[in-house]
Amino acid sequence: MKRKLIAAIGVAGMMVGIAACGSEDGKGGTDASGNKTLTVWVMDGSAPDAWMAEVNKEFEAKHKGVKVKVEKQQWNGIQERVTTALSEDTPPDVLELGNTQTAGYAATGGLADLTGDKAKLGHDGWNKGMLASNELDGKLYSAPWYAASRVVVYDKTAFKKAGVTPPKTRQEWIDGLKKLKASDPKTQPIYLPGQSWYVYAGFVWDEGSDLAVKDGDKWKGNLSSPQAAAAMNFYKELQSYSTAPKDKDEATPQQSTDIVPKGGVASWVGLGWEAGGAIDAMKKAGKTADFGYFPIPGKTADKPGSVFFGGSNLAIAERSKNKDLAKEWLALAAGKQQMTAYAKATEGGLLPNTDAAQFKPAAGSFAEAMAKASSVGKITPVTPGWANVETAPNPIKDYMTKVLKGEDPKKAGEAADKVITERVNQQ
Amino acid sequence: MTVDSQGTATAAPVDAPGRAAGKSKTPPPPSGPKEVLQPPRGRRSLPGGLLPYLLVAPALLSMAVLLLYPLIRNVVLSFQQVNKREMITRETVWIGFENYTKLLGDADFWGVVVRSVGFTAANVALIMLLGTLIGLLLNRLGKKMRLVLSLALMFAWAMPIVASVTVFRWLFDEQFGVVNWLMRTLGFAGYEQHNWFETGFSTLVIVMILLVWGSIPFVALNMYAGLTTVGTELYEAARMDGASGWRTFWSVVFPNLKPFFMITTFLEVIWIFKAFAQVYAMNLGGPDRGSETLPVYAYIEGLGQQHYGLAAAISILTILMLIAAMSFYFRLILKQEDES
Repeated sequence: MKRKLIAAIGVAGMMVGIAACGSEDGKGGTDASGNKTLTVWVMDGSAPDAWMAEVNKEFEAKHKGVKVKVEKQQWNGIQERVTTALSEDTPPDVLELGNTQTAGYAATGGLADLTGDKAKLGHDGWNKGMLASNELDGKLYSAPWYAASRVVVYDKTAFKKAGVTPPKTRQEWIDGLKKLKASDPKTQPIYLPGQSWYVYAGFVWDEGSDLAVKDGDKWKGNLSSPQAAAAMNFYKELQSYSTAPKDKDEATPQQSTDIVPKGGVASWVGLGWEAGGAIDAMKKAGKTADFGYFPIPGKTADKPGSVFFGGSNLAIAERSKNKDLAKEWLALAAGKQQMTAYAKATEGGLLPNTDAAQFKPAAGSFAEAMAKASSVGKITPVTPGWANVETAPNPIKDYMTKVLKGEDPKKAGEAADKVITERVNQQ
Repeated sequence: MTVDSQGTATAAPVDAPGRAAGKSKTPPPPSGPKEVLQPPRGRRSLPGGLLPYLLVAPALLSMAVLLLYPLIRNVVLSFQQVNKREMITRETVWIGFENYTKLLGDADFWGVVVRSVGFTAANVALIMLLGTLIGLLLNRLGKKMRLVLSLALMFAWAMPIVASVTVFRWLFDEQFGVVNWLMRTLGFAGYEQHNWFETGFSTLVIVMILLVWGSIPFVALNMYAGLTTVGTELYEAARMDGASGWRTFWSVVFPNLKPFFMITTFLEVIWIFKAFAQVYAMNLGGPDRGSETLPVYAYIEGLGQQHYGLAAAISILTILMLIAAMSFYFRLILKQEDES
């Protein structure tokens, strides 16, 4: 009797352990009354709500009986979600893809070939720098949407108090941080978490090197090179002025909304939407942000530091049930007229895909600093395998944490290169 | 399970299987009425032959759909190469045992196995020890305090996993954590920005605190329930013989509750070994993949790295390891059934 009771409890316990999975409701396609839904995936921070609503209003007016459903996605873990989505029968029709990841998905055959729609999409007017990541083996798989790069955001009051002006060279930058530290020991001169790897990539490019290099028809990791070590040493020097965790990136905790608004940060490296987020968060907390912006300083005053030219492309899923509608939407959203509105809505914080839509940034704005830096913007190696390198756990991030904690850059670089080489050559 | 209830005509047929099983241990003395009642019992047990199966069918069916089918799919998947490209193009690439040979020859995999086994052992030992102690405490407490403690245990148990992990992460946060603040306030040096997740080991220790905290209620409450079935006369007899508390536990409580200890230990082994959310959500298997246990390793290789076939092979190997461990348990159970 006792044993049975206990066994029953045991069985009940085991059953509890079996988790049931919910299933998503059917999306896409056509419903009973012939109405169509076009599903669009955009990333958090990409599209201002008002602009998006305007685009969809125009689209729905032109195409009766079609509804556009916009689903906002987070960057964290996006690759696994996109892979799963593209493997389904009813994937989102239009997807925003990071420019470092597009080639990887183009190679899988999950994206619709847009080569034949170049004219409709406005291919000729596109910014040439942004175009490269949309193509693979001469075919077009997506339309460029926007690009952005990081600049240094600083607290004007703190800089003024310490008598520091925006630096032009690395040396001036470090000197300024020293002064800031002396003027207010309680404030971090710069908030720089240990795994801000896009910032580090810029320093590698400043050394004239890259994160991975071509070796015959294969690629190999390049973090064990002396250039990578030199770049990492500068990062380490910079990071020594920050009390940010060495084993976290800028998104955990979110620097713009969780760290900066709390105060005690004189400067940080961020994107336009992050600066906007910080300003909003401070307003909510009853504070006023007084931010200035300057491009990441280069080794010499004549050229700012290299930056990662991040950005997004808009692609159409190969299995989309509404491919033609999706192309129409793409042509509208990424077309010159809407891109002009887009550039205006983001106040130049995100560069539109065509120079004709460019917004003239206000003096002293984030956009102005970013425009200065965009001449030296670069992207990660354009090869389908690069997307694999960025998947968690990212070997570049682990490399950075190790070196910051005192490991020899060459040794840590060799360990990271092993992983990078393996992943970058995978399809 | 009294003898006379078996004879009553009002007994529902549903009772039949359970009653038959329960009866075997307490055979009723053969008597006159038994002969008289036999025909109706025989008639009732005839449809009962099919009925029990019908009644368990929904449960079996749902288990087949929710457990068996995915398991079979998983086995099939483990013999295929399914990466990002195959997943999207839905190509089927059979590669035989390649996933398995790759794993079994991979030092990282064995590192994770050793870590998982050690982690499980440490957790289960702590859970059983502390859970038993709290169970004993529950048994000795007065009514009010027992209610308070039971409630506290229930709350800890009812806490959703990811929510509790989030709370723990913030408690041990490097920049804003309460634990660092506490250490500073207590006057310990070096806790300005102590990183509690500095190494894989320290991360797993924090996960262990969380798992132990979350698992104790199950053991403690079950222990208490088990203790209530131990007759007070046994304690009295032990006391008469001058047994110490320690001796009473080992000679009276433990033998009586041996089945309880066994099932609880094995359940905890299963739960801890396959604990995923707690380990993953705490630090995503980091730093530098140092806190990955087998389920986390499978998730990172599968969903993170998008090697779905390889991840399936990892999970199959995990299941095999659990089955090997569980076979001890089933052997013990079978042996006990034979004895009694």
